[in-house]
Amino acid sequence: MKILTPMRVLSSLSALGAILLGALVVGLTAGPSGLGVGEIFSVLGDRDAVGPAADIVLRVRLPRVLLGALVGACLAVSGVLFQAMLRNPLADPYVLGVSGGAALGGILVLSLGSAVGLGYEAVPPAAFAGCLLTTAILYAIAGANARASTTSLLLTGVVFNAFASAAIVFLASMAGLTESASIFLWLIGSLSSIRVEVSGWVAAFLVLGLGSTIPLARSLNLSALGGESAEQLGVDIDRQRRIVLIASSLMVGAAVSVAGLIGFVGLMIPHLLRLIFGPDHRLLIPASALGGAAFLVICDAIARTILDGRELPVGAITALAGGPLFLWLLRRYHQRVLS
Amino acid sequence: MKFRGSAVPPPAPHRLQRSPWRSGVGRNINCPMNRSTRRLLEIALLAACWAGVSAGSDPAVSSAPATRNLRVVSMNPSLTRMLIALDAQHVLVGVDEYSADHEPAVAALPRVGGLFNPSLEAVVALEPDLVVVVPSVQQRDFRTRLRELGVEVIELASVTLDQILESMQTLGDRIGRSEAARERVAAIQSTWIDVAREASLRPRRSAVLVLQRDPLYLVGGGSYLSAMLDAAGLDNAAVEYSEAYPRVSLEWLIAAGPQLIIDSSDDPVPAIEHWSRWTSIPAVAEGRVVAVPQGLVTLPGPYLDRSLRTMVAAIRSVDQDSGASQGAESH
Repeated sequence: MKILTPMRVLSSLSALGAILLGALVVGLTAGPSGLGVGEIFSVLGDRDAVGPAADIVLRVRLPRVLLGALVGACLAVSGVLFQAMLRNPLADPYVLGVSGGAALGGILVLSLGSAVGLGYEAVPPAAFAGCLLTTAILYAIAGANARASTTSLLLTGVVFNAFASAAIVFLASMAGLTESASIFLWLIGSLSSIRVEVSGWVAAFLVLGLGSTIPLARSLNLSALGGESAEQLGVDIDRQRRIVLIASSLMVGAAVSVAGLIGFVGLMIPHLLRLIFGPDHRLLIPASALGGAAFLVICDAIARTILDGRELPVGAITALAGGPLFLWLLRRYHQRVLS
Repeated sequence: MKFRGSAVPPPAPHRLQRSPWRSGVGRNINCPMNRSTRRLLEIALLAACWAGVSAGSDPAVSSAPATRNLRVVSMNPSLTRMLIALDAQHVLVGVDEYSADHEPAVAALPRVGGLFNPSLEAVVALEPDLVVVVPSVQQRDFRTRLRELGVEVIELASVTLDQILESMQTLGDRIGRSEAARERVAAIQSTWIDVAREASLRPRRSAVLVLQRDPLYLVGGGSYLSAMLDAAGLDNAAVEYSEAYPRVSLEWLIAAGPQLIIDSSDDPVPAIEHWSRWTSIPAVAEGRVVAVPQGLVTLPGPYLDRSLRTMVAAIRSVDQDSGASQGAESH
């Protein structure tokens, strides 16, 4: 295992930053309407441009690409954090039921909202409210019993997710045809129905999440040894757990409420980066933010262009594109270790 | 705009195989004929096609009276509406949830589930002679089971205009209401031809019919609604999608640049307000965004003539509004 030096952190993050920049350029230039690269950049230089090209680049693609990057970053970072806190490689951002709560909130509005005069705009706030409520429940469980094991936290999440999916199935079977279609698409996850306004919120939660958890990176490294050993080495496990729980939940809630349940990013991007950069969270947390962002932007570019004007939910692409990539990397890593 | 042309590629070969009068295929053929002459020829062709359809129905059943003893279960609101329109609701002994919720005439009948959750037991308990359904994938097993149990099942498609008219005639023939069905079909056809003839005197516009805004669903080339747009003098900008109701990206819509947006989504935000952000779409810039009630489009039923008239009236209303502010339209 190579030692983590500031130089290595810097070079790794610069490389990922360059990849993210490339992904953003790809995201801005890819689309069904066949705009030329020159036209795209001339429009980008002029904030007040009008016309179809300006509408497409500045008001459709740009907000979507930015939001894709933010959502990807939120999901990947919370994936790393949950995997570290729960010491479970199968943990993903959705494992603690926060996503279930957000989905339930969003789908309540999708299926019943039109009856009380709530449009699609009300879905993200409702989803976020669902996320906050779930976080509060989880926090009450973890907080009331500071010694609560990770197992009981995990089980609470599993039970809550099961409850939420049952409620969603119930709502979906009561809903009409168009509502069912919306619910289905929302459950797969998509970046198509975005509003520029929400990007700021997601960015705020991402900054908050990164800012509060990067200082914990060293203690997260130690907790890989197990709760008791980490405590003997001076890690305040309760405090760490509370911060990680709240920060990750807020990031997941923000991501899910604007983009639905996009799978794979939060589970696999952390593993993928761990294979490449090693398990040190001081590098892994910021690397996941950059890697998750780049990955989701590329996947969304594929989702927007593959069917020529038709939209494909990005959630369908993430696993399709990411799965084989991940298996290939895993195989290569094992071959390297064995030789 | 350079890319606008590229967003609407030349028609795929399979589109040429559809009925010649639909979607104005003739316009895509490069021929020196005058536009309105060609339009009139298309209308004449349409009339001729339909003359053949009406003459082809079986006269043997048409004289039979509406069978009192027949017990029918309808699994689809458009079929329920057809039965009511043919004055045959007395044969109904059960309907699907959507029919019961939206058709007061059958609200009191037993309900037998919906598209996704039809109840085999509830249908069988009603001892029907006939169950009428649409050929949906969701009810495939349900139909098979019913047939295994010896119940007659008729599948009546209602996606294209031809299918709807044919379904109505088939349904009328089966329940002994051939004459009523023929009259209804003829009424729709004559309205269609009248509207198309009136529209041929005006400049054609490109248009989209929005079914849902978020995610964005439009009417594609495969739906009766595309034929409705065509008759009303509009070129469906989404005709390149052969399916009935494609989900498209907003970017595609902006690039396609339709001159008219007909919005039939049931979103509480008014259509004009919703679309006002996209000023580069000619329809928005020229004030040609019109909302039509959702029931007009979601139920392909027996009163397509009225639906067509309603839609034409809505289109004319924005034409006048924008005409007043924009002056004469150059096409």
